[in-house]
Amino acid sequence: MGKKKFLGGKNSNAYIVFYSTVMVVIVAIMLAFTSLSLKDRQNANELNEKKDAIVASLGLEKGSYDEVIEAYVVNKEGQVIETAETPLQKLFDLVGSHAKGEYPVFENKATGEVVFPLTGKGLWDDIWGYVALEADLNTIKGAIFDHAGETPGLGAEIATPKFQAQFPGQTIYEEGQLVGIYVVKGGAKGAAHSVDAVTGGTKTSEGLQNMIKNCLDNYDAFLKVRQANVVTENAE
Amino acid sequence: MKNKTFQSLTNPLAKNNPVLVQILGICSALAVTTQLKPALVMGLSVTAVCAFSNLVLSLLRNGIPDRIRIIVQLVVIAALVTIVNDVLKAYVYDVSKQLSVYVGLIITNCIIMGRVEAFALSNKPLPSLLDGIGNGIGYGAVLVIIGFVRELFGNGSLFGYQIIPECFYEAGYVNNGLMLFPPAALIIVGVIIWVHRTANKDLQEK
Repeated sequence: MGKKKFLGGKNSNAYIVFYSTVMVVIVAIMLAFTSLSLKDRQNANELNEKKDAIVASLGLEKGSYDEVIEAYVVNKEGQVIETAETPLQKLFDLVGSHAKGEYPVFENKATGEVVFPLTGKGLWDDIWGYVALEADLNTIKGAIFDHAGETPGLGAEIATPKFQAQFPGQTIYEEGQLVGIYVVKGGAKGAAHSVDAVTGGTKTSEGLQNMIKNCLDNYDAFLKVRQANVVTENAE
Repeated sequence: MKNKTFQSLTNPLAKNNPVLVQILGICSALAVTTQLKPALVMGLSVTAVCAFSNLVLSLLRNGIPDRIRIIVQLVVIAALVTIVNDVLKAYVYDVSKQLSVYVGLIITNCIIMGRVEAFALSNKPLPSLLDGIGNGIGYGAVLVIIGFVRELFGNGSLFGYQIIPECFYEAGYVNNGLMLFPPAALIIVGVIIWVHRTANKDLQEK
């Protein structure tokens, strides 16, 4: 008889159960600790990224969000409403916020240009973005898109400046009807409301087109009221 | 002895390359090589994860029960990647955004588990660490070659910068669309293996 082994040796059932229990507890503590202790910093980073994306869609410098943007929430009828969360907090759960019928708007205080957040599905995972409209509330001033897991070189191209540069100057209304932007495979060739789709990224492009249309639809009433105001102001 | 330790670093670079000889990690070699930059990022990440998981599991090797060793390997690798990703997200947000797409691919990369299983569990920590680094670099090198060819001929660019001049396109040159699809990566891997085996006659099957 040699030395008595701990729990009957490395390959006994008791040792295996003991080993896996200890391992799981240690790993769980490590993961929980890192996650909790870093949460605040991560959230701050994400919030800054969202602020920068909003001003970037307006073609402004990073970090200028707090000076230029006035944010509020509208309902489907286009009226400004009070909500429990701030418009920025809504961006963290845009799908849930849309389900409640609450739609955040980010307005450039100086110029009346507005930015709308978008959310949708690409091929593999979520895609999202921001569309900025000129003060006429029809022409796109700029657009920013990003994705969680589209294929690099294919669907992920929607996040490149080259792809996004196609959007400024496009209009989203045709004879008072909201049409959004068509993301056309094989080349838009200057057709109205259209941009070139990503080569090899057909599903992502379709997702993008649906995202733009579906999300902007929620702001249709808001946009029409504002457009009417713009027209009367000009008439005076 | 010293020489043998050193070999665990240099062997996987050519003679025992994980992609070319062991034919491991092919799946991610297809997924992230449409462009050079993600290929490079993926190569570096896998090198880091492979090195540290080899080190950690080599240190733990005498206590791990044989019957659940695969589960233990997976837990260590997944925990390591998750923690590193969390830290990056808090302190270098831009880098973490680049990597987030690959986190799942890194955890499930067969090279990492393959090396832990084949090497780290039966070797001392230092050679295991070097073996991890060597295999990571060997894998990354192949990825970079594939990424180079695919981005150059598929997009006409490298690292996102246009390389093939505009006048080529005006003269009728067209980017090769096949390069952007997975089969192109397989073809390129095949060609590299061919060249590699021609150069290393002892690897050829009889």
